[in-house]
Amino acid sequence: MTPTRWLLLALTVVGVSILAIAVGTIPVPISAIWDAVRGTGDTQLTYVVRALRLPRVVMASLVGVGLGMSGAALQGTMRNPLAEPYLLGVSGGAAVGAVLGQAAGVGGVFLPLAAFAGAIVAVLAAFVVAHAAGARGDPRVLLMAGVVVGAFANAAIMVILANAEPNTVRNALWWMMGSVGEAAWPQIAVLLGYILIGGGALVALGREIDVLALGEEAAAGLGLNVDTAIRRVFFVASLLAAATVAAAGLVGFVGLVVPHIARALGLRKHRPLLLASALVGATLVVSADLLGRVLRPPAELPLGAVTALVGVPFFLAKLRRLT
Amino acid sequence: MSVFYFAALFSASLLGACQHSEPRDAGSVRDDFGAAVIVGAPPRRIVSLNPTTTEVLFAIGAGSRLVGRSMYDAFPESALAVPNLGAALRPNVEAIIGAKPDLVLLYASQDNRDASERLRQAGIATAALRIDSIAQFERDTRLIGRITGDSVRANMVVDSVRATLDRVRAATRSLARPTVFFHTWDRPLITIGGGSFLNELVDIAGGRNVYGDLPGPSGIVTVEDVVRRNPDYVFASPITAKNLRADPRWQALPAVRAGHVLVFDTLVVGRPSVTLGAAARSLADLLHPGAVR
Amino acid sequence: MIAFDNVSVRYPRATSDALDRVSLATTRGTITAIVGPNGSGKSTVVRSLIRRVPLRDGRITIGGQPLSDLSGPDFARRVAVVTQREDLTFPVLVSDYVALGRFPHLGVWHAAGPADESAITAAMGTAGVDELASRRVDMLSGGEWQRVRLARALAQGGDVLVLDEPTAFLDVGHEMAVFELLERLARDGQTVLLVSHELNLVARFASHMVLLDHGRVVADGRPVDVMEAGVLERVYQWPVSIVADPIDGTPTLVLKRSR
Repeated sequence: MTPTRWLLLALTVVGVSILAIAVGTIPVPISAIWDAVRGTGDTQLTYVVRALRLPRVVMASLVGVGLGMSGAALQGTMRNPLAEPYLLGVSGGAAVGAVLGQAAGVGGVFLPLAAFAGAIVAVLAAFVVAHAAGARGDPRVLLMAGVVVGAFANAAIMVILANAEPNTVRNALWWMMGSVGEAAWPQIAVLLGYILIGGGALVALGREIDVLALGEEAAAGLGLNVDTAIRRVFFVASLLAAATVAAAGLVGFVGLVVPHIARALGLRKHRPLLLASALVGATLVVSADLLGRVLRPPAELPLGAVTALVGVPFFLAKLRRLT
Repeated sequence: MSVFYFAALFSASLLGACQHSEPRDAGSVRDDFGAAVIVGAPPRRIVSLNPTTTEVLFAIGAGSRLVGRSMYDAFPESALAVPNLGAALRPNVEAIIGAKPDLVLLYASQDNRDASERLRQAGIATAALRIDSIAQFERDTRLIGRITGDSVRANMVVDSVRATLDRVRAATRSLARPTVFFHTWDRPLITIGGGSFLNELVDIAGGRNVYGDLPGPSGIVTVEDVVRRNPDYVFASPITAKNLRADPRWQALPAVRAGHVLVFDTLVVGRPSVTLGAAARSLADLLHPGAVR
Repeated sequence: MIAFDNVSVRYPRATSDALDRVSLATTRGTITAIVGPNGSGKSTVVRSLIRRVPLRDGRITIGGQPLSDLSGPDFARRVAVVTQREDLTFPVLVSDYVALGRFPHLGVWHAAGPADESAITAAMGTAGVDELASRRVDMLSGGEWQRVRLARALAQGGDVLVLDEPTAFLDVGHEMAVFELLERLARDGQTVLLVSHELNLVARFASHMVLLDHGRVVADGRPVDVMEAGVLERVYQWPVSIVADPIDGTPTLVLKRSR
């Protein structure tokens, strides 16, 4: 992809972010944003920008980066354009962790930890199930193990919620619909850490994903330990996804759709594809958050609902072009 | 004025004492589902699955006849001695029938339509009541009194509550009316709407609910929208107030920055029951300290 | 270069060996071909080389060194394997595809240097695919794709080339082109080991044939020695006769009608 296109992509992220800071129930003039961020200028606008808008835009970007990169890595490794970050049971496990946490009365700061722990347990369980089935790194078996773990997690959630107090149920459902509305700087810092480490690892492994994309036998012929390489990518990609779920709840379709958009820009090699997916993902989630805030004021549509509403027609359009 | 009032109450109670076991007027009483409640003799075994109705029953002197309550009914304290039959919504109908009641009081929500039907089919007198506003409290307390044969006490309770409400209203009527945001729940952010008794209480206490335009008893809102409406004060429960002050998002609200967070006592304010008068009084004391003597 | 010494392989949960005490050896600068009917174990030979299936018994050596002593990249730098099929779900450009052949040398960390660039250019030139550099790999004809895959294998820079059914989906003209290219490579010093079901093409170009049947070596030697009607009839379960090719005398298999 040409440098101009990269620049345009980067500018799109910045542009959408500025728009998301400016637009909302309380309008913030674009010219006032910079002053508000720095803390000079109108006090009330400063609070609105710094306390209400900026955290959610930053978190939305990071969520988009994490899910976009995770999806791109998984689709290339599994050679499947329908692969997406939640497939190893990440979403189910995180939801169980969050619901259990809420039922146990775990509050604000620790809830993401509970969700993250749930997600990791689910991913490890998927690996164990696949191993017990006798397949070392076969991505199809891992996928099926992930589906099994995810189904089990969904059943567990239903059991927990069936016997829970209405308040717990309401909290849990609200969490599962996804939101960056409660973004706080400490959580953002944690998510940033995971993105840097996980995203960095995926970009470094980009060439391995290129090789894996040729097929397992061809990859083995090029000297790659295929089973280990696949497990590595799966684990890092799932870690990234789990971190985003812990921070913002379940935001579906992003990991599925973003790599397709990045590939439509002409990218094939996975290092640049991962970076482009990060930028496209940020744009998508920030836009989704913005839409959720302006479609039905003064209420806010959950982030997961908006991404699904956007993702479904996108996929229908893609299907039509395939057939 | 108050002497006359007291005299009227006293004579009414004398009348009531003579007519302790008045014959039931078989005229149909309708519950909040619109169904007729037909009672023969005054019920001796009552199941009440709602904190408000349970509290009302105790207040009108029917508490000793309670044989079942819901898990949420904790007022007054003597209610805790009544057997706990579980959920108030979608209740365990078998457990209710097992307590052999001759009257069941349910909360009138869609979740309870099925239970209400099944209890009627089992031949048990059932009344579904929904007490969301002060007017509903008055009507349903009197209704409960008629059903249980404690009309006199019921009327006394209603009149006493009304008297306190009137007193508070009068005390705050001429004062400046600050705007108020009532923070009910965190996740999602829920506040009280125009259809809630709390909205009425805020009004009586001399304030104005910034979300009074919302239909229904409650509504889901966003922090940003609250900031836009810029209330003078925020009402919150003790736990919520703590979270509010610590949450950087709420710093965008000038009322929070200025420390105008008023903490109410959930036990007093939380339900549209016999404590309504005390609730109005407590809110008024927070909004207009010293106004109500 | 590549030597199998009494190698036995059994797939997990299988009741019999896919390879049963197979011994074979390739020679520098020649084409060795492994032939045999379906299920005889031909592809298993390739899979055991790339270590996708473990050995039950025996040893594989590369230039005298045991395969188990070589790491994945070590092996790939010396031996280039072109498998039967590759996945084209996410097609890349031909130039990027051939460049992947340098992966055993570069790994994930090193950037491509001048040595890598020249290896890629030379490989593309040898395989005759220079003008396809900016095409996408899924936009190539069967013959072009096969030559591009060969280019990638050549870019790996090893001196051994292993191919599993290199002409499987090609028409006769492209088949000949591929085999003539392999012949040239062998003459220039490459050791070529290929698996094929094309008996006649193999007989014409290979100097060494190994015939497998149910995982065992039943014949090993020059084409004229291996292409013997009795053996082939038994192995392929079909009546055959061997004639000499009118042009160069190569033993040629002719299939008779069934009785």
